[in-house]
Amino acid sequence: MIKVRIPTPLRPLTKGQGEVEAKGGSIDEMINHLEGAHPGIKGRLCDEKGELRRFVNIYVNEEDIRFLKGKDTILKDGDEVSIVPAIAGGN
Amino acid sequence: MLSLKIPRQILDEMVAHARALAPFECCGLLAGQDGTVSRHYRITNTVAKDAQAVEVFDAANVKQLADLSEKRKAEVAYFMDPKEMLAAFKDMRERQLDLIVIYHSHTHSPAYPSMTDVGLALYPDAAYLIISLENKTAPDVQAYWIKDHRITQAEFHAI
Ligand SMILES: [Zn+2]
Repeated sequence: MIKVRIPTPLRPLTKGQGEVEAKGGSIDEMINHLEGAHPGIKGRLCDEKGELRRFVNIYVNEEDIRFLKGKDTILKDGDEVSIVPAIAGGN
Repeated sequence: MLSLKIPRQILDEMVAHARALAPFECCGLLAGQDGTVSRHYRITNTVAKDAQAVEVFDAANVKQLADLSEKRKAEVAYFMDPKEMLAAFKDMRERQLDLIVIYHSHTHSPAYPSMTDVGLALYPDAAYLIISLENKTAPDVQAYWIKDHRITQAEFHAI
């Protein structure tokens, strides 16, 4: 099992849970598994082409997947995945 | 919506943070329980250095950053260091605190959300607090809820 930390903006999709369990051998598989359990979540993480949205940061055990293999980053049992939407703005 | 409670000391710290970084924008997070803030996290504004920032602003179709100098980027925009955010959220989790406020400074404009702020407001449950240094001698601090591109005032008071 993979432990996935859900940010507050996505908790309406997980019945308010800040932490859910998921399966999958990669980030891509994990997202598809999450979508099965929490419909709508994939569209918040990925665009129409299935690519991760620019403003979504995903960490595996605190490593940014951008610096690993992106959606193909391998997951193993016991890994902790954090989803953290960017915070930005301006004047 | 209830009025948020923010310790006077934290309000002073945020204004000091904004002044220390001016003319660049500062940013940070406040956490607590039941609308009462108890913890302040200063987060580094990495907009000038992080290539992801340009992509995020472009994807949201807000302020165009690509052609600005590093200095200018940090004067007109902020992008919270993702690693520091991750650490702050971990600390909140361990202390059983919730994110209550997302703040940043406007060093040359009023304490009101810009189109860029609205276009990038991804946390509807957090109040967006803005510290304006437009009037150097009298900083203005205001907070707003930004949901579905609609802005409403978020009441808060010092405790
Ligand atoms: Zn702003």
